[in-house]
Amino acid sequence: MSATTATAGSVPGPAKNQKISLALGRRRHRTNLIIKALCVLATLIGLVLLASILLTLIYLGGSGLTLNVFTSVTKPPGSNGGLLNAILGTLIQTSVGTLIGTPIGLMVGTYLAEYGRHSTLANSIRFVSDVLLSAPSILIGLFIYEICVEPFGGFSGVAGCLALAVIVIPIVVRTTEDMLQLIPPSLREAAVALGAPKWKMIVLICYRAAKDGIATGVLLAVARIAGETAPLLFTSLGNSSALGSMTTPMSSLPVTIYQYAGSAFQDWVQLAWVGALLITIGVLATNILARFALRGGR
Amino acid sequence: MSEAQGQQGSFGGVRARATGVTMNETRIAIRDLDFFYGSNRALKNIKLDFPDKQVTGMIGPSGCGKSTLLRVLNRMYDLYPGQRATGQVMMDGENIIDPSMDLNSLRARIGMVFQKPTPFPMTIYENIAFGVKLHEKLSKAEMDERVEWSLTRGALWEEVKDRLNSSAMGLSGGQQQRLCIARTIAVRPEVILFDEPTSALDPISTLKIEELIDELKHDFTIAIVTHNMQQAARCADQVAFFYLGEMVEVAPAGQMFTAPREKRTQEYITGRFG
Repeated sequence: MSATTATAGSVPGPAKNQKISLALGRRRHRTNLIIKALCVLATLIGLVLLASILLTLIYLGGSGLTLNVFTSVTKPPGSNGGLLNAILGTLIQTSVGTLIGTPIGLMVGTYLAEYGRHSTLANSIRFVSDVLLSAPSILIGLFIYEICVEPFGGFSGVAGCLALAVIVIPIVVRTTEDMLQLIPPSLREAAVALGAPKWKMIVLICYRAAKDGIATGVLLAVARIAGETAPLLFTSLGNSSALGSMTTPMSSLPVTIYQYAGSAFQDWVQLAWVGALLITIGVLATNILARFALRGGR
Repeated sequence: MSEAQGQQGSFGGVRARATGVTMNETRIAIRDLDFFYGSNRALKNIKLDFPDKQVTGMIGPSGCGKSTLLRVLNRMYDLYPGQRATGQVMMDGENIIDPSMDLNSLRARIGMVFQKPTPFPMTIYENIAFGVKLHEKLSKAEMDERVEWSLTRGALWEEVKDRLNSSAMGLSGGQQQRLCIARTIAVRPEVILFDEPTSALDPISTLKIEELIDELKHDFTIAIVTHNMQQAARCADQVAFFYLGEMVEVAPAGQMFTAPREKRTQEYITGRFG
């Protein structure tokens, strides 16, 4: 606009050193290449490690995967035992733990995002929840041991479920709060402007808008507790009889893996590998199924 | 009321607005209204009447308080702690900003359409039904009828009638905004507030929304905030000019844009600031 005297090819203003400009351009290009190479390298390292774990699991676990694993319970070494009790125990404890922990976590997360916000109470809850999120899970096992195993005179499936539920809660709290906060204020205002009371806005609009994220949080929690060992050692321990009884000790895959993998018996070590493979497949399958279900709903 | 409406109709279109249009009887009367964001006084001593079944346009530079005023009318500010209003906003003999006001039924009577289209993450049908279900119990057939009626009034029915059960997120921006208008109409409010409803839309969609507003004023009292003075001139029967939290001037649209009384108004509409 102010270029009143400028002719084609010359731009008014301070002169530019073409040589320096080109050199800077080349340097940018070099830096870009280096950073790119580093990123690719880091990705490869991660992928190679992941792939080697998976392949080892499939190779060593897959060879021991027989029907017997699913039909017979854990037995003394050399008597052709399976993992039925451990599989059943993990299924029960993981699902009950998730069923107890998810609603609590969901409600706490909702309170933090929608009601408490930055009040003192909300900030305290948020802090405690985040501490719990990173607390070593063995502490949670000990906690449940103190309130649920000692007083009631023994290890039980109930105690195992509770310990896992305590692990689920902070994960779901964190993701629920984060996902609800991501919802634009305009969407909330639109719901409120139609005369919706706050709880309906939250339940009918916000949850719906955040459902993918919240579901991801729940899945993360499932994946996490499906592989938890320490809290179960102190709570449900293990049991090869009384399948599915909640009041007696209950087996689980991680605890069985822990006990078998370090043993001196070849068939137990083999079963430990099978157990590890089963957990991995289980978590993977849950993730994929949930993703499909969520996509179908959209 | 109906006489005034008939009279309004007989003038017809733009001409009615350009000449001395008669203002209908007042639907909402604002007196001595102050608004505070914390300690910041954003509206100062506002006095303004919204005539029944006519369009009141609100113009002014950014931050002048026009959107704030709109958000007072449906108490949207209640969502945010630290925001409060004092004074009188009278509708049907009630003070809207009275703390004892039932906000949910107030918002059913005073609907709002926002700057950016805000479809809910559900189907087109459910978007409309959501608001209706909050206030009425309708059978499936009645609901179908209401959905068709409001989408028709929202000038969207022809475009979506074959895909009512697909997600509203798949509509174009202009269609989404008309869906939001239809959703607001479906609740059968008496007043509709438009907060810069076309600022995120292309010219064609804008034209459709403006035509729609023109059509809607036969049944609804309308308040529209806009940055676009041509839009105010096209849509509004009366225009209010806001500046720095004050309502500087209100006049019939034709008079406002041809012979404003205040110097500040004149400077703003001729583009000297804002």
